[in-house]
Amino acid sequence: MTSSLPSLAIPGQRLGSVTTFTAGPGTHVHHSHVYASIAGPVFVDPAQPKSQAKSTISISRTARVKTTPSATAASKSKPKYNTLPGVDSVVLARVTRVQKRQATVSILVVLDESASSKALNPLQSASDNDNIESILSSAANPENHSSSDELRFQALIRKEDVRAVEKDRVVMDEMFRVGDIVRGTVISLGDQSFYYLTTARNDLGVVMARSEAGNMMFPVSWKEMRDPVTGAAEQRKVARPF
Amino acid sequence: MASTAADSTAQAAPTAPPSLILPPSQFARLQPHAYLLAHLSPPASSQQPSLRANGRSPSQFRITSANTGSLTHTNGSAVVRLGDTTAVCGIKAEILHTEDIPSWSVSHSSSSLASNKRRKLTSPAENLGADREDGSEETDDDDDSYIEDFSLLVPNLSLSTGCAPGFIPGAPPSALAQSLSHQILSLLRSTRIVRSKDLQIWYQRPNLGREELEVHNEDEQMDVDVEQDRSGGATPEPREIKAFWVLYIDIMIISLAGNPFDAAWLSVLAALRDTKLPRAWWDVDNEIVVCSDLVSEARKLSLRGLPVASSFGVFEADAAAGWRAVLIPDAEEERKIADSERKGIRRRWILADPDGYEEGLSLERVCLVVDRDQGGSGEVVIVKLEKNGGFAVDRKELKQLVEISAQRWEDINQILGQC
Amino acid sequence: MTDRRRINGPPGGTRPPIFASSLESTSDIVAERPQRQRQPNELRKIFLKTGLIPSASGSSYLEFEPSTSLSAARSKPKSVIPPSSSLKLACTVHGPKPLPRSATFSPNLVLTTHVKYAPFAGRRRKGHVRDASERDLGVHLETALRGAIVAERWPKSGLDITITILEAEDDRWWGDAPDSHDAAWGMMNVLAGCITAASAAISDARIDCLDLVAGGVAAVVADETAGRETTSQLMLDTDPADHRSILSACVVAYMPARDEITELWLKGDNSKSSVGTDNRGLGHEALIDGAVDAARGAHSVLAEAVRESAQRFAGLPSGDFT
Repeated sequence: MTSSLPSLAIPGQRLGSVTTFTAGPGTHVHHSHVYASIAGPVFVDPAQPKSQAKSTISISRTARVKTTPSATAASKSKPKYNTLPGVDSVVLARVTRVQKRQATVSILVVLDESASSKALNPLQSASDNDNIESILSSAANPENHSSSDELRFQALIRKEDVRAVEKDRVVMDEMFRVGDIVRGTVISLGDQSFYYLTTARNDLGVVMARSEAGNMMFPVSWKEMRDPVTGAAEQRKVARPF
Repeated sequence: MASTAADSTAQAAPTAPPSLILPPSQFARLQPHAYLLAHLSPPASSQQPSLRANGRSPSQFRITSANTGSLTHTNGSAVVRLGDTTAVCGIKAEILHTEDIPSWSVSHSSSSLASNKRRKLTSPAENLGADREDGSEETDDDDDSYIEDFSLLVPNLSLSTGCAPGFIPGAPPSALAQSLSHQILSLLRSTRIVRSKDLQIWYQRPNLGREELEVHNEDEQMDVDVEQDRSGGATPEPREIKAFWVLYIDIMIISLAGNPFDAAWLSVLAALRDTKLPRAWWDVDNEIVVCSDLVSEARKLSLRGLPVASSFGVFEADAAAGWRAVLIPDAEEERKIADSERKGIRRRWILADPDGYEEGLSLERVCLVVDRDQGGSGEVVIVKLEKNGGFAVDRKELKQLVEISAQRWEDINQILGQC
Repeated sequence: MTDRRRINGPPGGTRPPIFASSLESTSDIVAERPQRQRQPNELRKIFLKTGLIPSASGSSYLEFEPSTSLSAARSKPKSVIPPSSSLKLACTVHGPKPLPRSATFSPNLVLTTHVKYAPFAGRRRKGHVRDASERDLGVHLETALRGAIVAERWPKSGLDITITILEAEDDRWWGDAPDSHDAAWGMMNVLAGCITAASAAISDARIDCLDLVAGGVAAVVADETAGRETTSQLMLDTDPADHRSILSACVVAYMPARDEITELWLKGDNSKSSVGTDNRGLGHEALIDGAVDAARGAHSVLAEAVRESAQRFAGLPSGDFT
């Protein structure tokens, strides 16, 4: 069944009939056939033996190199970043502005699609959506450091989406500060310029923050972080460390 | 996944939070400063050498290659790759008629005597410089002011090529592109690398009364002028400049991954070495300058020296330095840094040929342009030194950088020699 | 007039060099006119490589094989005037990235294309500001690609495609005076190259496409063949420098998997050729078919380059996944 499939497909390559396969990521259907829409290795996710579902055919967007992440492997394979944030995506974002009713963040990394679908779909597990080599070469725009935020997707965390309890007593200044790195999930694609994020879960919130003195702080409770040098505590909506 | 590497990176970084484990690529993106610092100062127990995130040692340049003459419609061209930064330079020569120069008739042709006098006045100083640079070569009594006065060298660098995200294609040159173009122009002028003589197109007026002038030999040009002066200037100047070659030097940065200046300058250098100008003369009947299309008659430029640029970035361990105002380190702090250095804990690194990632993390930059006397065998001459953005690089460090740049000169000399 | 953001040349302007040989009677240079050495349906080789620019999400570099006359002139240079030139271009893809703040909401991927000649790309120096022909190329390229991209998979985001042409194709042989048949024939070859290169770069960026879209050119040319009267003939992948006069030409962007044309551009007067020679094989249909054939040829190179880059990307030699 799968033996007739190519190991590697290029866009426009016919992979099989829709009577035997369901089109997964990286493919599309045309004239009742599944075609590849990106170049990469072909995967078939076999259907449950009892169920009516057909096998899902998909093309990996990420290099599935199982070797140890040594320097040689990194230079050989070049996964590229082009994962868009979607609803339920977990993202890491930097806070760029804190206002009374909302905080503005710019999305740095899109993590796994969602924790639940991970087991079902092995393709998304390798969510390392950027490799060292391309980060090292591109990095910041030499022109103007602030404008690199223009190249990133912007998102808002509204006051009511910060935490699940005591929503009405949220003071944004005590939740986030500019420069913090926040883990959040996308709840809506939002309007033309912003996605909407939520941090209303124990594992979501600030994961990295610097104190007023400029030192990296460590979390002490779900709403406090501490500077290891000065010992001063600051308020944050802290993500539960794993 | 990549958790093993992440572990070591995270532990190596003293500022990283203890709880979070990230794959290196995410760590590099979220905490660039800590990431680079972790690479440069590995834990003493690990026995690893201090390497940059890109695997280079602090004074190591990226692999450099140069390829010349591949573009058909240019007088000279070069493709230079400096790691992942790629610069393409194409030189096109066009002709500037002296009649198109508004100030020409006033300052030159009408008073050839004056211009000769001026030349003589300026020549001693110029000869000094020329002697030093060219050594045994013929003394250089060129009037290089032509190049500057009439903009005979026109370098322009373009970053609107999609070379990196953030440069809008089709937009006017960005501040960085403008600044790079001007740096190249000023270096072309200050090094006097192109000789004005190579760009002049002369006309030998047939002079029936003086048969010795009928043989026009380039080498006798000065003799003729001098003779003319001696004879009192009663007869009109038999030779005059009718036109100049103008070199349009365009540099397209095709891929930008840090240190565009070194790549751009090297591409200009390689393209100039590749440039051939056709033989050109004044056609009296048509009153235009006409060129010969024979390759055998075309001449290469005779360049002065080989100035090679080396750029450096300074990375400081104190993360706060990056986002707070730069403070002048006082004597106390300097002493501390020196102390810790003696103990083997380095707090700052000077990184040669920084890539894009490192450029974003270093405020202080040094650019050195060096050359060697007598075609490479003589002393190292600093042609240009530019340093800005910080206080870390002192006299001692600069001396080291000059040494590194001199070594770099040797490498580049070899690379250019092969293409 | 003066551009303060660039370094300007002499204010009075400069003139491109005039060669003595082009002023004299042209009897002795006729022999040097480049001749097409390929069969009418034989294509030039294409060099195509992806992923050379790491800071871009996708990139490609494309080069046409130099013609026989050009490679001869390269190896044994006699004249400083090149007999012809061969296309060289670099393409980068940036994105998907956020749309500018001023943009309205878009549920689809917004495609932006820019084509720019390097100032030294052609026989004549090009200006730094994009001219009409460059804008035109950008628009043609956009339509060619828009039909191939699965845009709804990338909501709210933009994709910038930038092409820098390092060496362009001539519009005619340099020794010929511009005449009535003259048009920007070289531009059509450039467009075909842009389409193929952009398709490779988009694929390198892993943007969903219906198919790899390739560009191809065909033309009806009238050449004097050794003293006899001129005959019109259909040729694929024409190098304008090889031909005395091109009557009409066509460039297509073509997706072989679906047998679909996403962009078609026909130029020149082709009624005359088909009527005058009583040859139905030179009509529009034949011209388009020829261009499609040329595009098929380019597609095989494109597919090979994309497959090679996918293998590199997967870090595996072919055949490891079954």
